[in-house]
Amino acid sequence: MVNAPTVLVIGGGSTGCGIARDLAMRGFDITLVEKGNLTNGTTGRMHGLLHSGGRYAVADQASAKECIAENRILRDIASHCVEMTGGLFVQRPEDSGEYFRNKLQGCRECDIPTTVLSAAETRAKEPALAEDVERSIAVPDGAIDPFRLCVANALSAQRHGARIETHAEVTDVLVEDDTVVGCNVRHHTGPGKRTHRAPGTTEEIRADYVVNATGAWAGQIGELAGVDIEVRPSKGAMVIMNVRQVDTVINRCRPKGDADIIVPHETTAILGTTDKEVDDPEGYPEEQWEVDLMIDELSELIPVLRESRSIRSFWGVRPLYEPPGTGTADPTDITRDFFLLDHEERDGLAGMTSIVGGKFTTYRLMAERISNHVCEQFGSKADCRTAEEPLPGSEDFEVLRDHMEAFGLRSPIGRRSTQRLGSRAEEVLTTDGPNPVLCECEAVTRAEIQDAIDQSGTDLNAVRIRTRASMGNCQGGLCCHRMANELHPEHEEPTVRTALDELYQERWKGQRHALWGEQLSQAMLNHVLHGTTMNRDHDPARQETLDFDAFDTGIERTRASDGD
Amino acid sequence: MSNDQHTDHDRLSSEQTAEVATAETTVPPSDERTTDLRPGADNCYKCTACDTSCPVAEVDDEFPGPKFQGPEQWRLKRSEDTDIDDSIMSCSNCMRCDSACPSGVPLSQMHNTARGEYVEGMSKLSREYVRNRILANYGRLARLGSRVPRLTNFVMGNRVTKWFNEQLLGITSEREFPAFATQTFREWYDERGGSKIESEDRRIAYFHGDYSNFNTPEVAKALVRVFESFGYEVAVPEQRCSGTPMFANGMLEDARRAAEFNVQTFSKLIDEGYDIVCSCTSCSMALRQEYPELFDFEDTELVATHTYEAIEYLRLHEDLDEAISETELEDEPALAYHAPCHARNQGLHRQALELLDELEGATIEDVGDSCSGISGTYGWKEEKYDYSMEIGEEMFEEMEDAAGTTGLTECPTCAMQMEHGTGYEINHPLELIEKALV
Repeated sequence: MVNAPTVLVIGGGSTGCGIARDLAMRGFDITLVEKGNLTNGTTGRMHGLLHSGGRYAVADQASAKECIAENRILRDIASHCVEMTGGLFVQRPEDSGEYFRNKLQGCRECDIPTTVLSAAETRAKEPALAEDVERSIAVPDGAIDPFRLCVANALSAQRHGARIETHAEVTDVLVEDDTVVGCNVRHHTGPGKRTHRAPGTTEEIRADYVVNATGAWAGQIGELAGVDIEVRPSKGAMVIMNVRQVDTVINRCRPKGDADIIVPHETTAILGTTDKEVDDPEGYPEEQWEVDLMIDELSELIPVLRESRSIRSFWGVRPLYEPPGTGTADPTDITRDFFLLDHEERDGLAGMTSIVGGKFTTYRLMAERISNHVCEQFGSKADCRTAEEPLPGSEDFEVLRDHMEAFGLRSPIGRRSTQRLGSRAEEVLTTDGPNPVLCECEAVTRAEIQDAIDQSGTDLNAVRIRTRASMGNCQGGLCCHRMANELHPEHEEPTVRTALDELYQERWKGQRHALWGEQLSQAMLNHVLHGTTMNRDHDPARQETLDFDAFDTGIERTRASDGD
Repeated sequence: MSNDQHTDHDRLSSEQTAEVATAETTVPPSDERTTDLRPGADNCYKCTACDTSCPVAEVDDEFPGPKFQGPEQWRLKRSEDTDIDDSIMSCSNCMRCDSACPSGVPLSQMHNTARGEYVEGMSKLSREYVRNRILANYGRLARLGSRVPRLTNFVMGNRVTKWFNEQLLGITSEREFPAFATQTFREWYDERGGSKIESEDRRIAYFHGDYSNFNTPEVAKALVRVFESFGYEVAVPEQRCSGTPMFANGMLEDARRAAEFNVQTFSKLIDEGYDIVCSCTSCSMALRQEYPELFDFEDTELVATHTYEAIEYLRLHEDLDEAISETELEDEPALAYHAPCHARNQGLHRQALELLDELEGATIEDVGDSCSGISGTYGWKEEKYDYSMEIGEEMFEEMEDAAGTTGLTECPTCAMQMEHGTGYEINHPLELIEKALV
């Protein structure tokens, strides 16, 4: 397209990245800005469930139908991010048989394939389930890695000419003649790939159209533009177990309630969740009782959870929205549907649309709808191709499965790397130099870390979400510094140290609510290792004014003692 | 189940369920699944004590070590994954990682289970499989060979046989095949008319294992005489190999058959008031730890909790130390004692030294806590022989430095290695105790 319209997408979560990809593929000139790294908001803080739609089949059938349709699409276009674990809705003796039948009926009405399993069949499939479970409904739930999915969307958008700016915070929305014409952005360390300790800059980005895809933060962007967007952020707690207790998604088959799902996610299992409305999507309490509740409640389904190790916990905020005047009191009753708010129609402010509500599984559909809307604004007839064109990493993946062992890596390491990289495995893992494993817990090699650094500069958290390095049971205790070491010699020591500190802090943050039993031992070992080998607890070199001359060389002392 | 009547009615047509069924086919029915040991990885906080204690990792740069073999590999496993890295076959099963771990990670159980899975997928015609099957089932060959011990000893010691074993099977020609006794222990026991003592409250069932039956009956005889001297009735029930060489070679089906037989036979005797006593520390290890970790026959736990090593049993139930301190030996050569790794795992690596320290006339020197390097069948493999000798080097040097030129150990294959590396004659502590007490 000659003189393609410019569109500024705000928000680097699944929806924003999905929109950037969709519009870039349709020929628009795209810039995406995100204030943290990709997935920084809600996308990076979900339990990784690829919905079959079963969870919504009774109360919200419109959402359920969208889920199963998108589930089938994502298995295809994002195969390297999806593990088709299957899911079960498990009925315990105290759960209602009527609800079980409603669930089954609902799935049937929404075209969600089901099989009813007896108690014996259910426990044969998942031996860790409690002995007294009554029966279950098998549905095509899956596990999906939101990090890789988001990154793959951004990568695809870049291949179609998009500019992706992370660590670029919108400080103002520019409005001229009742029309949004762009944004002021503050780059934390300058534009382009992040480099720690580089000075921040500001930039005015003008665009023909602005899409606000900031989810729970949509109200804040609205405020900068002078419009009201009443998102109702609702927090949910999630607990990460050290190993998989189950290999199938386990849902409790009951109407609604906290702590009713466990999702096998990569090497771990994630317990979820709670649903409580909060005022501010960033400033809300993270409380221990939420973690305890999760373990207590889900132990009824999977008793071994009670004595199993959890490595961390995290909280996410749902970007719930309902049209003004609906007035639902309980956040669990607010629809999971998404809404497209055209601010021209709604508020008389042209040039900007917000997208709110919705859920991760339908991110692509949301992106398609809003991209269609943007196309209408510019009279573009370009078709959406995101449902057919595989994401980078998911092309011809089946062929590659045969070559899993081809990179000189031991079997579980080669297998995990190939599963993460999909069709990019060959390009990333083929290396002339030595390729040691840097993160042992998650089996991540130097080549994979270097590939992630190429994409994200010195931002080791961005390396982490691309590779899973430092996300295993030692939570970075044995690998953070190895990852940071890979930044040298391209980057100087102070930059590397700052990048390392940031990653180590982030890893520590999530462990605060898991400090008992084995994870407490782990945290203590990490602390002692880092304290004694890197002096991280009291490093005099961090003091700007250290008087090195005050130290003696040690030579005189040795000489003096020679005379004794 | 109250809602049973709905189940059939609720089933959808097979066409509609195909999508779900595909997701299920990857999960085998529970009885075909191997034990899920992923939860064992919960105990690991990556301190690496296991790797630093692993004798194989120290000499074999290709071996990634127990932390990878155990908790890391298991944690990375998904239920549908069947491939196991071939490095599992380089683990010698010395189990030093078990005793090194400060946090109770079931390392050797993880290794044994993974090795079993790996071997299941191995070609049954490969040289490595055939060789390992032969080594693991040494007892079966011994049963045949010991019928004509002199001929077998001649053939096995023959240079041509050794060359043939190495070329065709990959069994090292560097080692001398252990000689078969002209009379097995069981033949001797039957000939003397079984136990000389009958007792209601002091009765043991002796698990002698194959080696002391076919190769070193003097050790087994010593056990019988020592226990009889304390007034014990010694039963010698039918038995098969403890399974130790089978675990180490991933031959879990062979091990299962042997273990099931042993558990059935010995559990009956436990009901009659017998405790199980072993003279080999690897045998007692198998009955106590590996059986319950790998199998769940009826009474497996019962057998495990009633199994003891011989000296351990006498120190617990009789005042063996007192008896030893009241006697003395004359003209006894100084001894160089090596504690087997499997004794270490049962906390028994100091007992022979503590006990024999009380024995006047005996001089015993500990040759350090290194591994002898043979680890049963490991050192017999042609491709592992050099590693085996490199691991043993520390022990050989300590033995050379020790005053005595006679070795002492509880483990028959450690004894082979000690003899092979130094040329010393090697005894079992029970032989010394027999000499002192009987």
